[in-house]
Amino acid sequence: MIRRQTFVIVGASLAGVTAAAILREEGFEGRVVLLGEEELLPYERPGLSKVYLRGEEPAESLTVRDADWFDDQDVELMRGVVAERLDATARTVTMADGESVEFEQALIATGSRNRPLEAPGVDLGNVFDLRTVADADRIRAAAAHGGPAVCVGMGFIGAEVAASLRQMDVDVTVVEIFETAIWKVLGRDAGDVMARIHADHGVKMRFNDTVDTFVGGAAVERVRTSLADDIPAAFVVVGIGVVPNGEIWPLSLTEDGGIPVDPTLQTEVPGIWAAGDVASHDHPAFGRLRVEHFDNAIKMGETAARNMLGAGLVHDDPHWFWSDQYDVQVQMVGVRPPDGTVVVRGSYEDRSFCAFSLDAAGVLRGATSIAWPRDVRRAIALVRQQVRPDPAKLADPGFDIRQFAEG
Amino acid sequence: MAFQQVGPSGDLGEGEVQAYDVGGEEIAVARVGGTLYAFSDICTHRRCNLANGGEIDGTSIECECHGSVFSMETGAVLHAPATEPIATYPVRESQGQIEVDA
Repeated sequence: MIRRQTFVIVGASLAGVTAAAILREEGFEGRVVLLGEEELLPYERPGLSKVYLRGEEPAESLTVRDADWFDDQDVELMRGVVAERLDATARTVTMADGESVEFEQALIATGSRNRPLEAPGVDLGNVFDLRTVADADRIRAAAAHGGPAVCVGMGFIGAEVAASLRQMDVDVTVVEIFETAIWKVLGRDAGDVMARIHADHGVKMRFNDTVDTFVGGAAVERVRTSLADDIPAAFVVVGIGVVPNGEIWPLSLTEDGGIPVDPTLQTEVPGIWAAGDVASHDHPAFGRLRVEHFDNAIKMGETAARNMLGAGLVHDDPHWFWSDQYDVQVQMVGVRPPDGTVVVRGSYEDRSFCAFSLDAAGVLRGATSIAWPRDVRRAIALVRQQVRPDPAKLADPGFDIRQFAEG
Repeated sequence: MAFQQVGPSGDLGEGEVQAYDVGGEEIAVARVGGTLYAFSDICTHRRCNLANGGEIDGTSIECECHGSVFSMETGAVLHAPATEPIATYPVRESQGQIEVDA
């Protein structure tokens, strides 16, 4: 009798579910065991700060695959289980309840968790963060009682939550440690455009500022910052980044807590892979990095699954994402080299542009757009190919950048 | 069901895609390699309009919002995040008009 192989996917995440789907699509006939901590069917998180938070879509609309799909595809989804230990030698995953699963191959897609804010009073009532449907429910319920709200952090989550709260007519003040909106990812120019858009929608922003103390009784009442007087707060949403859930990996982690994987997403142990937020990837074009975006979770899940079946693919996706705030969409692909140059098509002033990032050698490494998505989508293939485009043509909105493609 | 005129052939160039209102249905028509394809304009992921910024590559179209890719021939999902196919419709040209059977 031939024993069926078992592939375990730790994390019923977007990366994990995508990998399960690809394993079946590619004809894998062994067991696929998918371990998830949450009780809900696996769902997409981007809507939690937007349509779902605003009550425009039900939670069911966020699910990655419906319950029947898991049955039809014979994917053994275990919900509400905490995978506590992975033994890379015995090749087992052990759950908190002591149950364990033996595997031939494993994919770690445990994602990340919110970075905790260390400030006195952070445990007061109505100080929230956002990762799960339940978190979004709590924020929506608080917003229904009205503001004022304080958002701590103006990265993508903080900016999207601030936008949604304004759309729900809640008074919002943002406290952000850096000099402008979404500064770390977008940089100064595009970040400033987003800050102006938020200002026009009535968001009060305090940059270069941090929280000293949350003040209140049972629930938060005021936020004391290092620069400002107390800001009144009926509730607070903290969004100051994430920490990868790498602790299950028994061997060494990267400095930022990610699980190191090679260009094919394999760990140092053959047959054990990582994908999504938790994977610290040796990227063929960008070097080692960890990416916390939706599309990357899908694409890494796809690559990992194919490589579990022996495809040997180098994961060279240049990372693309979007963010919807009010009626504008931010899109970005690739990276912004610190020593590079930026070529802008459109204008920051008009809040409609695509800014291409070239490195010192003139190689296209990334593109960032606000209300100009088409050229970011078109730049994806060009960043992957590492083309050296003519800056004059890049700046000309009438030039179709697909003509830079090789072959 | 029967073919209905949606617009003049001359308005849809090679490699282009346009959305039409066909009896209340939003239907996109694309012309690639001289062949017409008609399909639902509404992405099944988050209901973005495919014709609005959708990128055509061969006989597939990629949604501008979140990157789902569909076959314009069969409606099948070629790339997530969408998981449900889009509807496709018979389309033809007659006497300088594009006609869709929706």
